[in-house]
Amino acid sequence: MAMQTFLNLSKLVREGRKLAESSDVVSFDLFDTLLVRRTHDPDLVKLPVARYIAQLATTRGIAIVWEEVQQKRDRIEAAMRAETGKTFVDHEACYPVFMQQLLSEIFGDPTGVELFAEVADFELRMESAMLVARKELVDWVGELKEQGKKLFVISDMYLPATMLKTLVDKAGMTDLFDDVISSADSFQAKASGLAYPLVAERYGLVPERWLHVGDNPISDGLQADRAGLTALIISDPRESQRKSLAKRYYNYSLGRPFWRGRALQQLMMPLEAENQPQPDLYMEGYNFIGPLICAFLQELLEKCRQQKIGKIFFLSREGWMFSKCWEQLLPWLDPQKTAPPSEYLYVSRMALAGASCARQGLSRTNADIAFLPPGNRDFKDVCRIFSLNWEVFSEHLARHQLTADTCLSHIHDGYEPKNRERFNDLLRDLAFQAEVMAQTADSGLALERYLESVGFFSCDKVALVDIGWLGTIQRFLVDAIAHRQDAPTCQGYLFAATRGIPYPESEKNRLEGVVYDRNRFDLAASTIFYARDIFEEACRAPHPTLNGYRLHGEDFKLELRQTEDSLGQAEIEQDKYFEPLQRGIIDAARRYGPAAAMMGREVEDLRPWLNYLLVSKLAFPRTREISAIRHQHHLDDFHGSKKPKKEFHKQEVPLWDKPRWHLRFSPILRPRLFFKHLRDRINE
Amino acid sequence: MRRVVNSRFMLTGNEHHRLCGLAAFAKFIPIGKLRGGPGARCLFTLSVLHYGGYWLYFLQARYGHRLGRVRHLLTKVRRWKT
Repeated sequence: MAMQTFLNLSKLVREGRKLAESSDVVSFDLFDTLLVRRTHDPDLVKLPVARYIAQLATTRGIAIVWEEVQQKRDRIEAAMRAETGKTFVDHEACYPVFMQQLLSEIFGDPTGVELFAEVADFELRMESAMLVARKELVDWVGELKEQGKKLFVISDMYLPATMLKTLVDKAGMTDLFDDVISSADSFQAKASGLAYPLVAERYGLVPERWLHVGDNPISDGLQADRAGLTALIISDPRESQRKSLAKRYYNYSLGRPFWRGRALQQLMMPLEAENQPQPDLYMEGYNFIGPLICAFLQELLEKCRQQKIGKIFFLSREGWMFSKCWEQLLPWLDPQKTAPPSEYLYVSRMALAGASCARQGLSRTNADIAFLPPGNRDFKDVCRIFSLNWEVFSEHLARHQLTADTCLSHIHDGYEPKNRERFNDLLRDLAFQAEVMAQTADSGLALERYLESVGFFSCDKVALVDIGWLGTIQRFLVDAIAHRQDAPTCQGYLFAATRGIPYPESEKNRLEGVVYDRNRFDLAASTIFYARDIFEEACRAPHPTLNGYRLHGEDFKLELRQTEDSLGQAEIEQDKYFEPLQRGIIDAARRYGPAAAMMGREVEDLRPWLNYLLVSKLAFPRTREISAIRHQHHLDDFHGSKKPKKEFHKQEVPLWDKPRWHLRFSPILRPRLFFKHLRDRINE
Repeated sequence: MRRVVNSRFMLTGNEHHRLCGLAAFAKFIPIGKLRGGPGARCLFTLSVLHYGGYWLYFLQARYGHRLGRVRHLLTKVRRWKT
């Protein structure tokens, strides 16, 4: 029977089902038939492997760049194909042979052979990450298996059958096939047609009762037909369109930096069964916030290497999402395992604020920070933030003609500047500071014990990773441990540093914004100002915030906030609402790693695309997007509940807080607010 | 409920026409560092592929074998040009 070509996979499967009734054996081509590649060019998988080998060489003191490794591989593989061509019709190559030869050439004889398993494992992982099983075909293969047909995979490929079996297993087709046959083992390929009689002889198959499915009209079609098989060929225009787009994005990214991030997202795309209908929030997590967080973590890895960081601490609660994504990314971005160890650290502004006063008392800057949120008004708010009992301070306050309810914030009614001066005098009062230190001593000690338990003091330099914005947590943490001789150098990395108040940087205490830092002008990245809360909510851990550290005998205890009250319940509700968004972010990290390893780009290369994403999504969002991503409840114990005076509310409502009707029916709203944002940033 | 990638291989929520719109806006108002931006020619080619790519490849798969003469002619023109 002549071969049949199908432009639609469903039609091919329908016809295949009919033909399979009169067949005992069904064989499938592997690449571009059973499995599709995320990339347009299969050779692109070789590039990260070349980079991996070059890194291995560097760690062993061999100076070689990855381009040279790739050239050597191409040369050795081509030589092997030419050599095979002298004996066999097909010019095939065998991966273990040429790869061991390559490694021996680079590392010398015994080491090269020893390293083969490691390199082969990485190449297989890379190949596997770039392959997706075609759901319709896999379902059909399952049916054929149940019908008792003999099933084979036949591939013209340089990887031997043992390695192809691993790829088939990883694609979720374990035990479906009787055997996997590769041209790398026999040097007899489908291209010449010699593979078919070879397989027929080896397994005792009758060509007339053998159905073959593939994508190549020559190897899988014409040659199979000549061997007496029935052949079905898939020529899917949708696959051609996808690959053509992937090719354009990749090629454009070589010349135009703007497309580098887009090409990476094209490689991250879920395909076939991976691309299931999802809620809108999942979409935002996968296509918007996920890539931003992954780029942040990629840059973090690079910076930690440069700064020779001993340990990375992801600060709660936003650090929870960072650590989850970090786990997904690390096997791909750091296959040599050179990254410092990481740990999730239970901290919060509220918990650290009190502990920071244990040795140094309440500093004026820290007291000023307490009055940044508009809901904080008086001494009671200061006490709430720094875990102090305000009733004990009545004598101290009276000495300075203050009460616990005296207004100390200029944005509240009843504010008098002289009261703030009196408050500053109070901060200089040694008796007052002694009481502050007495009340917070236990908290400070418990914090130190907790930090000791996580190995915080065993490194010279640690990275403190947080979402943003002012670096308050790091500020309090450094204050709390400043008295210790073994306090490490703290290098803070924030997703975005908006720096509302100057950060006290020193040799042992530094802070840097990675995606955005107010210290460097970046208009596009500054659009983070539009909606900082959504990043906080998107990254927040599904556990309550930390209220403080408590001594527990010789040990310590972490005190998490109770969730029974209305605020706690609102937060649980918010966490449930954002669950699809967080799922999208983690899924994005799962695919960002292999895509970034494949592209081999630094975050600086991706920045134009990330900038576009930020402007497009934050400054020019659709109404539907704002409605979906805008948080329902945002809990922040740091913020008090007192209402500032009316003038404070006269400022324009931010875009992300506008009512839906305004967002929908005001065509110039977004450009107007963007102009305002532009003006504000220039005037900063 | 939508898919992360739509039937035109665009990222849902970040479709190609949205990029074209912002690129046009960025021609007049600075929106930040885009290092040269997307480029009109790239945008045009990608628009053709995203919106009409399926039918182009369908025609190529269905009737591509009949285009041998046209391809031959195009190759000749290209050679003549260079």
